[in-house]
Amino acid sequence: MTDFGFHLSKSSQLDLSRVDRERLNRLYELEPGARICMTCGSCGATCMAAPYSGMSVRKMLLHIERGLDVKPLLSKCMLCGKCTMVCPRGINTRNLILNVCKLYD
Amino acid sequence: MKENVVIIGGGVAGMEAAKQLLTLGYNPVIVERSAQLGGHVAGWHKLFPDMSSAQELVKGLRRDIAEANVFLETRLNSLQRTKSVYTVELNNGVRLTSRAVLIASGFELFDASKKEEYGYGVYDHVITNADLEAWMNGREDNRIPAQPQSIGFVHCVGSRDLKAGNSQCSKVCCTTAIKQAIELKERFPEAEVYCFYMDLRLFGKKYEDFYINAQRDFGVHFIRGRVSEVGETIDGRLQIKAEDTLLGKPLKVQLDLLVLMSGMVCNPIAKQLADKIRLQIDSDGFLKSRDNIAAIGESNQPGIFYAGACTGTKTVPETLAEARAAALSIHTYLMNQ
Amino acid sequence: MIDRIPSGFHPFVIPFLAGMSFVFLYCILGVVKIIYELSWAERRKLFLSLINPKYIYKNLRDIFLDCLIHVKLWKRNKLLGYMHSSIAFGWFMLIVLGHLEVFLFVPGRINLFYYPIFFNYFVAEDAVTLRGSLLFFLMDFFLVIVLSGIILAMIKRISSRLFGMRRTTRPSVMNNIGLYALWAIFPLRWLAESFTAHISGGSFLTVPANYLFREFLGNDLNMLPTWWAYSIALGVFMFVLPFSRYMHIPAEMLLIPMRNAGLKIRSARKGFARVQVLSCPNCGVCIDACPMTVNRGNVKDCTVYLTRQIRRNNERRIDEISDKCLMCGKCEALCQVGVEGPNLRLMQRATRSYRISPDFRDIDTEPMIAAAQGSKVLYFAGCMSRLTPVIPESVLSVMKKAGVDCTWMDRDDALCCGRPLFTAGRIEEAKQLVAKNEEIIIRSGADTLLVSCPICYKMFLENYHLPGIRVVNYIPYMYDLVKQGRLTLRKSDVCYVYHDPCELGRGCGIYDEPRKLLGRAAAIAEADKNKVESICCGGSLGSLSLNFQQRERMTKAALDNLYTSRADAIATACPLCKATFARYSDRPVHDMAEIIDART
Repeated sequence: MTDFGFHLSKSSQLDLSRVDRERLNRLYELEPGARICMTCGSCGATCMAAPYSGMSVRKMLLHIERGLDVKPLLSKCMLCGKCTMVCPRGINTRNLILNVCKLYD
Repeated sequence: MKENVVIIGGGVAGMEAAKQLLTLGYNPVIVERSAQLGGHVAGWHKLFPDMSSAQELVKGLRRDIAEANVFLETRLNSLQRTKSVYTVELNNGVRLTSRAVLIASGFELFDASKKEEYGYGVYDHVITNADLEAWMNGREDNRIPAQPQSIGFVHCVGSRDLKAGNSQCSKVCCTTAIKQAIELKERFPEAEVYCFYMDLRLFGKKYEDFYINAQRDFGVHFIRGRVSEVGETIDGRLQIKAEDTLLGKPLKVQLDLLVLMSGMVCNPIAKQLADKIRLQIDSDGFLKSRDNIAAIGESNQPGIFYAGACTGTKTVPETLAEARAAALSIHTYLMNQ
Repeated sequence: MIDRIPSGFHPFVIPFLAGMSFVFLYCILGVVKIIYELSWAERRKLFLSLINPKYIYKNLRDIFLDCLIHVKLWKRNKLLGYMHSSIAFGWFMLIVLGHLEVFLFVPGRINLFYYPIFFNYFVAEDAVTLRGSLLFFLMDFFLVIVLSGIILAMIKRISSRLFGMRRTTRPSVMNNIGLYALWAIFPLRWLAESFTAHISGGSFLTVPANYLFREFLGNDLNMLPTWWAYSIALGVFMFVLPFSRYMHIPAEMLLIPMRNAGLKIRSARKGFARVQVLSCPNCGVCIDACPMTVNRGNVKDCTVYLTRQIRRNNERRIDEISDKCLMCGKCEALCQVGVEGPNLRLMQRATRSYRISPDFRDIDTEPMIAAAQGSKVLYFAGCMSRLTPVIPESVLSVMKKAGVDCTWMDRDDALCCGRPLFTAGRIEEAKQLVAKNEEIIIRSGADTLLVSCPICYKMFLENYHLPGIRVVNYIPYMYDLVKQGRLTLRKSDVCYVYHDPCELGRGCGIYDEPRKLLGRAAAIAEADKNKVESICCGGSLGSLSLNFQQRERMTKAALDNLYTSRADAIATACPLCKATFARYSDRPVHDMAEIIDART
């Protein structure tokens, strides 16, 4: 790409109409627990990857639901399962993560 | 001869109901498992929102029910119904008959050691909300340091937690945490106090004012994120991990004292009673009212009434109001029979 | 004994002949295909083992003991053992003795391979000899043995509970055809041989039957139809064999040398995996063994159904079954054939393609290396232990009391051992974590890696290369300290039941040390199912798809098993078991470290 010496800053406004609903619904189907997150942050608190990539299942889900890129977050997930253990809603976070890795890029 | 009404549980609900029943001309008989009246409130120091004394409240109620029959350190051996009369057998050999029984067995504090990740009973400086109240009432507690520099509160311990078997919100912990944060800040003005919450549910009269006070006058820090790990550093300080969910960043902080806001679960006695006389248990594990809106103080059995936290998490004013309402319901029921 | 039919042939042998040729051809092609699917190194390993006398002896011994005598089954259940070995060994002896008869009496016919099967039809008894009578006696004897096995099999089909099996497999159509053909073969053989017993001779079973039949029927008209029926039953069985569970008979004979040669499952379907799948006899022992089948749930997710679905190429079900499994290893431990159910699933999981893959290579390990240095003993608690802080705290406390200088490797920032990624089939990603941790451990300067989490321990043992470093689980380590007198235990009155964690027991074979160690600190009671039969707590990271509610039932069933001991408290040695049990247990659940710490 030609460097014009300046760049346009991207809008930081979320646009919910651009969320891929079909893919999101497929994810909900594969892991119904994804619907019941109450965003308490337990997963992010205990996450082994959080210090490296800022990973948190809560954040990953919100990114997906708002149409944002999740790849950087997942780049250090070790699938250790601590998030599953601490989740007060009993979400199968590992199944969720594996399915996100399958469906999203 | 005045008619007996058996009240199971001598907490504020049982006492308040007894007081009203005395006025209505009955002979309330309180059966209490512990050695004193007042239940959980008797162990509390001050009550929100006006910081009134819990001891004064209990004392007042005790005075008011001086004429009632009270069996302390007593348990129910059996509870049976024949037609419209209940026969209650106590473990001290006393046998009572009564056409109406009020269940005011209340709640039990969630056992914080079940949430192993919080290290209650493992680390030296982890206590519960009840421990803190007892200390404020004058009980020695060497888990509380003489000069803490930093104190943390964990909201929702065992509440809103399917893993702990409780899906319900315990209602009072948010406000209690703010109250206790202010109280600790008054004793240790130098300490930084952090409240880790999932959601702040400050629904009651003047609760929001409490929140503003804590922020403005006491500098309490509120962090939206549930703590999920407690550890100890090499030099023996507590270190907790949470996620600052508003910023989306993992967070850790070293503390000298951690207070766990243990939630309410239904008193197991209520479940034993339910088995004896076939009362229903609601999906949240508490006793099921005949109707959760119109008849919260009534059970599915004629003559069995409920008051207070046996049907769900309640604040003290809610409990007292229910106790009064139950007394009146019992009166109406007995008059119409 | 002389030839009765000059041509040595009768058309009734055709069904058997066709069936037998079919099976032969099928098996030979199958073996070629499987050998072709092996890697070059595996093929070399296999062929070298096949010419090594030590392996030849081992293979023959294993085939004899496992395939014919069913020793493992005998150990588990005598009735089932007898049923299987009577049919397998009895049939084998009938074939061997049949060949012996041909060889001794009509050696010219030994090249006709149907002759030993239908010997009694083709010969006439010219003189009664001791040798002949003995052979005839043995033939009848083994026929009785086989028939008794068939009768037991019929009873088992009606009521498997009598055989100690609560649930058995639902047979497929092919399995049913094979089953009924198999049941028919031996009664028909007995009838056929009885009808010809006055010509060919016979013994205690066939001769009296011959008198009886001839007394009633008065002619020999039934002779040929019964021989036809016998041959057809054999033919049907042979034709169905490759498509039914009876394929396990030839497949197991390949499985044993391959396993003895040290082959491992490396692919989901090919090579050694194919042999494993074909070797599954569909007995259904894994159904009762599986912790997921509590309350009749998930029966169709057991290993026996995995092998069936793999044979049918039902991809959807293969994926479901592979993802659901807790990987506790009990089905494999109890399997009579040794079908590696968890490994088959693992390889299936490894076939998945992901659009996002983690990459750990750029993680800076320097701070972790610095934190790990300082002692000869390096302690790794594992991720999960941070949620049960009492475990690492107790381990460190015990080490302090014993005077062991020990550094906690993962007190602060740390990396996962890699086993969760590994069991999820993301093997390459797991290897990156392994490499990182290897670097930390080797550069720490320690000579011992002390591990309290059995999940990590298994990973360190099997997937790490740590030259010069002893990897040791905390239980044997503590037991050694006790034996050396560096720890003194005071025995308490509390009675514990010890729960064997899957990864420590079946996974690493550590069953005795925990009991010996615990025995010095408290009284011990045993649960109904223990050691190799221990029931998974339900919290296993092995399962990818089981949710919290589904696991709850499994945990409660595992607890019910522990309650059978009537112990006051539960002892275990895994952070996951402890956290999972503590959620529902009506009595205290303690980690071994906690108990030892409290009693020293």
